[in-house]
Amino acid sequence: MPSSISSSEVPGGVPDGAAQRDTRVPSGVHDRYARQTAADRPGVAQPVPVRPVPVQPWGRILLGVLALLALLVGGWEGYWRNFGVKPAYSNTYGLWAIQRRRIDAGEGNATVLVGASRVYYDIQLPVWERLDGHRPIQLAFEGTSPLAYLEDLAADPKFTGRVFVGVEPDLFFTGHEFRGGAVRYTRKESPSQYIGQWLSMRLIEPFLAFDDPDFALATVLERQPWPERPGKHVFPEPRKLGYREADRNSYVWDKVADDPEYHALWQRIWHENLQPSPDDPTPEEALKTERVQIARAASVVAKLRARGVKVLFVRMPSSGEYLAYENSSFPRARAWDKLLAASRAPGIYFEDYSELQGYYMPEWSHMTRTEAERFTAALYRVIIRDFWRPDGGSSTARTTAAR
Amino acid sequence: MVFNSLTFIVFFACVLGLHSLPLRWTTKKINLLVASYLFYAAWNPPFVILLWVSTVVDWYAAQGLVKAQRQTARHAWMLLSVVANLGMLGYFKYGQFLLDNFTALMSAIGIAYHPAHYDIVLPVGISFYTFATMSYTLDVYLRRALPARNFLDYALFVTFFPHLVAGPIMRPTELVPQFEQTRRATADQLRFGLALMTLGLFNKIVLADSFLSTVAERVYDSDRIPGALDAWAATFAFSGQIFCDFAGYSTTAIGAALCLGFAMPDNFRFPYAAVGFSDFWRRWHITLSSWLRDYLYIPLGGNRHGARRTYLALMVTMLLGGLWHGANWTFVAWGGLHGLYLSVERILRARFTSYRPGPVVFVLLGLLTYTLVNITWVFFRAKTFSKAWIVLRGMAGQNAATRPILATFSLLSVAAIVGALVVTHWLMRSRTLESVLARTPAAAVAVVWALMAFAIVIAQGAGSAFIYFQF
Repeated sequence: MPSSISSSEVPGGVPDGAAQRDTRVPSGVHDRYARQTAADRPGVAQPVPVRPVPVQPWGRILLGVLALLALLVGGWEGYWRNFGVKPAYSNTYGLWAIQRRRIDAGEGNATVLVGASRVYYDIQLPVWERLDGHRPIQLAFEGTSPLAYLEDLAADPKFTGRVFVGVEPDLFFTGHEFRGGAVRYTRKESPSQYIGQWLSMRLIEPFLAFDDPDFALATVLERQPWPERPGKHVFPEPRKLGYREADRNSYVWDKVADDPEYHALWQRIWHENLQPSPDDPTPEEALKTERVQIARAASVVAKLRARGVKVLFVRMPSSGEYLAYENSSFPRARAWDKLLAASRAPGIYFEDYSELQGYYMPEWSHMTRTEAERFTAALYRVIIRDFWRPDGGSSTARTTAAR
Repeated sequence: MVFNSLTFIVFFACVLGLHSLPLRWTTKKINLLVASYLFYAAWNPPFVILLWVSTVVDWYAAQGLVKAQRQTARHAWMLLSVVANLGMLGYFKYGQFLLDNFTALMSAIGIAYHPAHYDIVLPVGISFYTFATMSYTLDVYLRRALPARNFLDYALFVTFFPHLVAGPIMRPTELVPQFEQTRRATADQLRFGLALMTLGLFNKIVLADSFLSTVAERVYDSDRIPGALDAWAATFAFSGQIFCDFAGYSTTAIGAALCLGFAMPDNFRFPYAAVGFSDFWRRWHITLSSWLRDYLYIPLGGNRHGARRTYLALMVTMLLGGLWHGANWTFVAWGGLHGLYLSVERILRARFTSYRPGPVVFVLLGLLTYTLVNITWVFFRAKTFSKAWIVLRGMAGQNAATRPILATFSLLSVAAIVGALVVTHWLMRSRTLESVLARTPAAAVAVVWALMAFAIVIAQGAGSAFIYFQF
């Protein structure tokens, strides 16, 4: 029976047969699989399309594809495992969203960690949990000022806990946001993205070592030693630095400390990236940006404190060239001290505490896992002793005003 | 959900499994309909309601059209469909745009008008499914087709997930008849469908997302002023990106439908080998250009009422075609440029009717077409006219004191990928993918297919949305 909607039933339409299987060849195209498209048939009802399958032994081809694909993927996985990589969770917005939703799901009074990569590499959640009895919510993001995330917490009445704000001067005082989209992602996360994250954490990430942005095809090709274009110096991009667990507890990869070549590579990465660039803002622009960030921080702290949330700024440790760069570009008196004065929040500057100094940072910015565990314990004790006393009181003895 | 996601892989495996069960055809169609609603709801569940509205309005409008005795009643039913669909499109897609322009107009005549921000989320694919459902009513109105016999077939035509959110824009006569009879993919259709899906995803994930999009972003989304090389490289990159993104989507959609035993029409036919702009539009987004031709250009008079009316119809069609792509005047400029190109081509063809280019001139005309198409892409990619002018000035070498933006790798990847793309289009200009595959040794097909699949796996795409979803 012809289709009720087929043009074959329409007076003056395309003749019977052609409507069901239109195989006429468009002008200029000469092969046995050629067929017309709607472009060749103006002003008429379009017939059922033709979709021929080329003559090939498709069963054998598919078997060959699956075998070859298994070999190639297996070889790629083996290559990266041989490089020292092991499977871990990806630091996606979806993973962040899972942690962020804990606040909405009954953990509104939790301790939340915001900041950049030093916060998630140098603060070890298991150590904190062992000392505190509660595991903090890790919301830090690498290369990203925590202010947007702090503003998100300030806007959420369900959050009434404590916030640990890691300060990495070159990010905090510039407002730089390498991964600044997590709040928006969490608010707009579609069911498809939610399910995709769930599936990935169960089917992909725990099993495949190469599933890491550092080993993506384009990234691997781009970092090859291509000749430099005159006038365009390519700064080396940061490489894989560590691993993440399901709740975003992270630790630095042993290779950064133990492999001399990789260790040197990381130091070269920072060395080059810390050099002045023609794209850098002028000193006046930088100072203006710094003031804007401090004002933002003061405003958001005021909102949080009005709701009874305790905020603690922590200048995370660095060493070597990185520390020298931070000290020269963001002098303590100009940046950190003004932040505390403007926000009237307490703060810990690592250099003020002997127990927070002297940790080994192979690439000057992040601690090895064992050092991070020691540091977390020491920092936790300082925090509880001086700022977040279990009896509910707090001291601001170490704020700038008190020094 | 997007095709380039883990969620889709699992979803599609379930759909394939369900579709292969020995169930009644009606049950299978219900399964496909429910799956298609889930596919759409995976973005934003409430927007399924819009899909229902569009589906139901056009179903009843078509029924009314058939029963109507008087011409005025037929007009009324047709207008109901057009107003409902365009009204929905206008509200969600162009509401803020209209408000902004009204505010600017008021400001220009000295009236300070400050409306509240619209803040409405654009439902994914609304431009595609409203056009698909309108074609149903319009085909019935124009007496090109009779309404579908049952609501299930019609609803599945509107909602069928492979074409739902970014086309190919299907006509009811292309798809409804396929739902009327039991269909099941043959083993070879399933395998070839999977090969097409791999090809489409390779285009999207590897070429468009991994290599080309970042090059375009570094110039178009940066405050830096580009020199000639950077401006051209970024524009070429975008020309490759938008083709690989959109043709990649269409190919994946066609492959997904084929795996289920359904045929969908070609949407691209190697457009960067076009010689002239009428040729380009017979190769680029074929289902949209033919939709605009059949339901806008021809009703506006087409070429049946003299030269002046023809050019007017052409320009109106292309300007509205530009606006269809997005609520921004830059898209209108893009459409306007294409309308201008088509008009100039028409004038030249009328003046030089007997001219037949030789092979060298033919290729040169093709390269000229590609170059002029790239000029239009500047307006398509730039978010503002000021950015478009900066890039165009850069392409003309008129930006002073520029510093290089793109590194060697970016330039090489654009040259390699876009160069290969254009050469491939020329080699395939008068061929079909199927004919080339049929002549290729099976082992070579297997190796290329496996390499594409491998590249997709190791590219680690972030599941970014297809560009045309925003339209």
